[in-house]
Amino acid sequence: MYRYDEFDHAFVAARVSQFSDQVERRLSGDISEDAFKPLRLMNGVYLQLHAYMLRVAVPYGTLNGRQMRKLAHIARVYDRGYGHFTTRQNIQYNWPALSDMPAILNELAEVEMHAIQTSGNCIRNVTADHFAGAAADEVADPRPYAEILRQWSSVHPEFSFLPRKFKIAVTGSDRDRAAIQVHDIGLQLKKDDQGRLGFAVWIGGGQGRTPILAKKVKDFLPEADLLTYTTAIMRVYNLHGRRDNKYKARIKILVHETGVEKLSQEIEAEWLHLKDGELKLPAADIAAINAYFAPPELAARAEGWGELAAWKKSDPGFASWVGRNVAPHRHPDYAMVTISLKPIGGIPGDASADQMDAVAKLAEEFGHDEIRVTHEQNLVLPHVALADLEPLYRALLADGLATANAGLITDIIACPGLDYCALANARSIPVAQEISNRFGDLKRQADIGDLKIKISGCINACGHHHVGHIGILGVEKKGAELYQISLGGSGDENASIGEIIGRGFEPDRITDAIETIVDTYLANRTGADEIFIECYRRIGAEPFKTALYSSEAEAA
Amino acid sequence: MTVIWTQDGIVENDPWVSGSAAEDGPKLLPLAEALDHAQDNAAFGVVLQPADDVRALAPILDRVEIVAVTFPAFSDGRGFSQAMLLRTRLGYKGTLRAVGTVLLDQVPLMLRTGFDSFEVDHAPTIQRLVEKRLPGIDLHYQPAADKTADGPGYSWRRTAILNG
Repeated sequence: MYRYDEFDHAFVAARVSQFSDQVERRLSGDISEDAFKPLRLMNGVYLQLHAYMLRVAVPYGTLNGRQMRKLAHIARVYDRGYGHFTTRQNIQYNWPALSDMPAILNELAEVEMHAIQTSGNCIRNVTADHFAGAAADEVADPRPYAEILRQWSSVHPEFSFLPRKFKIAVTGSDRDRAAIQVHDIGLQLKKDDQGRLGFAVWIGGGQGRTPILAKKVKDFLPEADLLTYTTAIMRVYNLHGRRDNKYKARIKILVHETGVEKLSQEIEAEWLHLKDGELKLPAADIAAINAYFAPPELAARAEGWGELAAWKKSDPGFASWVGRNVAPHRHPDYAMVTISLKPIGGIPGDASADQMDAVAKLAEEFGHDEIRVTHEQNLVLPHVALADLEPLYRALLADGLATANAGLITDIIACPGLDYCALANARSIPVAQEISNRFGDLKRQADIGDLKIKISGCINACGHHHVGHIGILGVEKKGAELYQISLGGSGDENASIGEIIGRGFEPDRITDAIETIVDTYLANRTGADEIFIECYRRIGAEPFKTALYSSEAEAA
Repeated sequence: MTVIWTQDGIVENDPWVSGSAAEDGPKLLPLAEALDHAQDNAAFGVVLQPADDVRALAPILDRVEIVAVTFPAFSDGRGFSQAMLLRTRLGYKGTLRAVGTVLLDQVPLMLRTGFDSFEVDHAPTIQRLVEKRLPGIDLHYQPAADKTADGPGYSWRRTAILNG
């Protein structure tokens, strides 16, 4: 993984003192709250319902054990003993004191971490496929490009006061595990017919109150042009994106209102001036950044094959965990392990300080010291020998981290909702917990199969409900919480926006409604190999509407 | 109190202060008027609004003495791109002034995007500028319009050239 050089260390240190100076000037009244807000947000500091919140960047979701231990330490010393991993591969702390922020930032800097641009109307932390550098289906590792973008976008003088936030995601394979089509810029690494590396470029995707899938503006952008072309997009957006209404300020609205053809012509015209300029990437620099991400030396561990088969036979719990949470690595003796942060009835994405320490230790012991945060709010050890899976599982089990539900109905994405968030209209966490408890039986979950439930507590859609196979949106109606259901959303390479199925459900009826939807799916699927989303695409919304609403219609 | 600040300090009696130009003195004109005024010979400057297309200035830019770029609010960053276009695309060499909401934390970014003159009325900002205590970071991860040296490591990095 990337390691800071002196320049990076000095930069982060300078950023910490810059922010400390800004906090001091705010406290002395030299900066108004209005002017301070964008400054603190650009350093990840929010003012929430009950307290300040600090969002720490985990660039492209990659961590090592030492960094994870530091996150645990911060949770223990400055917060209430836990942290919350987010859908943008970051971690946020819900209870730090404003006066502790400089100390926390200094602690983070010790392990090459920061909170730069995790919020605010600037280019946010760049995300990538959590299986990067390990997946069998990968064209190339997306993280070096995400790192180049991270560096280039840090405290960018031209693009720090954009119309609205700006999110970039990079994926390295045809299977999109980074949800690039719901990002402001989505980049998909690919090779052209001569074997040269580049990107398909998508712009204008986003969720929020106006969910729109991204449009492809470039089928193949050579890798050397990554920063020149991104600069062209950013400049056109900075000059022409709407600033009269914050709900229409994202680039997706500019794409929609201008038309993708016209806008991509403008981008192209701007790019012509930039493409051979100083941001064109020399091959040597791309290679140098790539070298940091060289895969670990993975020794042959073929003994794992036989052991794995024997362990699975003797322990059904282990077998189902392997079935759900272990995915094929490009090295046949190794695997990628998903550590579920979705215990049955738990809070999606939360991890205690002790759990973070445990993961750090296990990554060092069994995982070549690499950890990933996924946009689905889980953790991943990307390089584990098959021969180490059983001891790893035992250790995870002891720490409550071995729930065998990756990709299942209880692997729910949920935003913090009204329990924490100043924007929320409804609670998300209790809804996730109740659904998780209702479907907690592992055999039942496994029978239902792949099913993504995503819950947002307001229209801003931090819980990605628009791209949930089942999406749940909490709204406020006449002072009470109500939950709207949408079906058929997907955030992968076959991305789609879910359709609202009908009127919403009260808090005490939402879980029943989900169960009705699941039962309808089970009754209609052609077999266990037709997963929920495929079944929905085949039969459409009608059977689900009928099941949810017809009895009411009869009663009325 | 409104002052004009440059890296050399406070500028006294600047003729271009918004609203202070005398009837027959130098004029700061809106873009459309500036394009007309270019027929005359008197010295003039241009005040750009955020929605103005700076590229329209290209044919007359060699006759413009000063371009003032307006920041209507702290959060409105269009002026940064206008400045970049003026300096790096149109090759504008004259005075480039930030006017409107100009607060301390924008100034380092404005300097990087090519501004060299600042119309400021926020007292705490003026004080820090006078003391030359700018809150910027001297290491940059990207080239811009300011004078910088190549930074170590990668082609995109730059380091500030500190004056004096």
